[in-house]
Amino acid sequence: MLTKKQKTFNWILIIFLLALSVFFLFPVIWMLANSFKSDAAITADMSSLAAFIPPALKGNYFENYITILTDTNFLRYMLNTLFYAAVLIVLGIVVNGLAGYALAKIKFPFRERWLLIIMMLLIVPTETVITIHFLIIAKVGLLNTVLGYILPMIVNPFNIFLFRQVFVSLPDDIYEAAQLDFCGPVKYFFTMVLPMSKTVVATVSVFTFLGVWNDYLWPSLVFTSSDLLTAQIGLNSITSNDNTTMGQVLAVITLITIPVMIIYALFSKQIVEGVTSTGSKEG
Amino acid sequence: MAFIEFKNIGKKYAGAERKSVDDFNLEINEKEFIAFVGPSGCGKSTTLRMIAGFEEITEGELYIDGKKVNEVAPRDRGIAMVFQNYALYPHMTVEKNIGYGLKNMKMPADQIKKKVDWAIDILGLQEYRNRKPKNLSGGQRQRVALGRAIVKNQKVFLMDEPLSNLDAKLRVSMRTEISKLHRELGATTIYVTHDQVEAMTMADRIVIMKDGVIQQVGKPMELYDHPVNKFVAGFIGSPQMNLFDVTVKGDKITFADGNTFPLSESVVKKLNGKEGEMILGIRGEDLKMDASNLELYSESRQKAVITDTEVMGNENNLYFQFGGCQAVARVSKYEISQVGDEIEFVFVPSKMHFFDKDTEMNYM
Repeated sequence: MLTKKQKTFNWILIIFLLALSVFFLFPVIWMLANSFKSDAAITADMSSLAAFIPPALKGNYFENYITILTDTNFLRYMLNTLFYAAVLIVLGIVVNGLAGYALAKIKFPFRERWLLIIMMLLIVPTETVITIHFLIIAKVGLLNTVLGYILPMIVNPFNIFLFRQVFVSLPDDIYEAAQLDFCGPVKYFFTMVLPMSKTVVATVSVFTFLGVWNDYLWPSLVFTSSDLLTAQIGLNSITSNDNTTMGQVLAVITLITIPVMIIYALFSKQIVEGVTSTGSKEG
Repeated sequence: MAFIEFKNIGKKYAGAERKSVDDFNLEINEKEFIAFVGPSGCGKSTTLRMIAGFEEITEGELYIDGKKVNEVAPRDRGIAMVFQNYALYPHMTVEKNIGYGLKNMKMPADQIKKKVDWAIDILGLQEYRNRKPKNLSGGQRQRVALGRAIVKNQKVFLMDEPLSNLDAKLRVSMRTEISKLHRELGATTIYVTHDQVEAMTMADRIVIMKDGVIQQVGKPMELYDHPVNKFVAGFIGSPQMNLFDVTVKGDKITFADGNTFPLSESVVKKLNGKEGEMILGIRGEDLKMDASNLELYSESRQKAVITDTEVMGNENNLYFQFGGCQAVARVSKYEISQVGDEIEFVFVPSKMHFFDKDTEMNYM
């Protein structure tokens, strides 16, 4: 039972957190509201509270969005990115999951040292690795190909570590029971291990999606053909184009932000659970 | 020919100083219910896991149905197993848990359904068939684990302490159910437990193990009445057999606290001239306190003061100091005594066991 003092403190805390949320949400609300306005309307009022209110729904309300989606390749870039994300989620779960499973459950020489090496990779800056990836991909002639983009992105030491931490707590007797149920090791991984570890699978999927969706550096190095570009590169080329209006810039930023917000809204529980559970025994 | 045959089976883990299982020799007949019993770390579960194929057999040969299986994969040994922690698939319903093995055997869907329905009926799981394990009680989970084992029609059932996670009441009812299932299905069953009551009530034969070595194999009452050594005598039976340090000279037995009485002729004959320090074992129910026995075995009549009592309902356990240690007499519920009461009791000569002080083997 909360005391009166505790209740008062809770209320103050709630009000403070709400105020903080509004403070952080202001730029997003401003972006959303102004993405429906013309440049003239945006520049007419940039400082009053009215700047945070979308215009009335009438006439060419979605003009900025329609222009972005019809006059540029942004829709294609978004679909490209969704496709890359989907492929990388599937491959990432299989490859990193199998690696995590091996490190958790299969006994082989120097297993703990392998894990240590993989964990050490976590502290290597991405930019360092990307240079090497680029040189290899260029050498094997995979520049400007989907394969060249995807291959170096599949293996992810952080995801391997996440999987390993969860798999290590899976009971061994379930594997033994599955063996007596005529289930081989590969089938066991796909029909038992992954379904039993839904939380970490969801976490890795979300992280992979966000990684691909927000990645700029690697696709900008690999891709030169505009047919293969990702949303972030599209965003950059659209926003840096002199002909793009401010309203269109805000519309394209809104478009690129929406999937991330949806993902966070849908999977915030799994993201938190997935990351916190990797440190606990329960998995 | 035996259905399961262990020939000098041994198990030594890498880096371990001693063997976990040593020179294990046993023949198990078809349809027999065998229980492996012993204290924690005696090697009973290791032996069971070697039969299942989950542990490598480092010495000896294991035969199932005439075929050497040392190198055979678990799935090809024709066994089904019930695990201590049930090992149910948490993301599958009861129905799918039971039918999973059949599905992997590529059995047609209609046959799977028929078999799963049969198992669900026999185990009384009808109303739980679409539940997942987390929504079942311990007893229901145990039934699912049994269902998963029985549907596959395997030749051998292995059960690794399947009732140890259940409460006392449920354990008793599941004991009966497992025995009934065994009778109905007729599969050869090997049952590991540390609970001697489970072994005594369920098994056709019991294998008692200690430190990886078989101590005695026999029918429950054989072990109870004729333990080969002090360990078996102490392990089987509840309350534990009374074990007194005694000295025997001629026909005279003297206890550590100086109490003495003459041994009957039949006992002296069985001792076959053995004298000196030894251990006398006698079960609580063979220390008699009723008038007729006091008269019948009056030469061994002794006195003691009760220090504690256990009222079991159907019988009473009376604890008292005698022979330099605490002893227990098991008497009928009508023989009521209180703490502090003086009792008189006699030893039933035919039920006395004498164990060698050093080897602890039974002289009789």
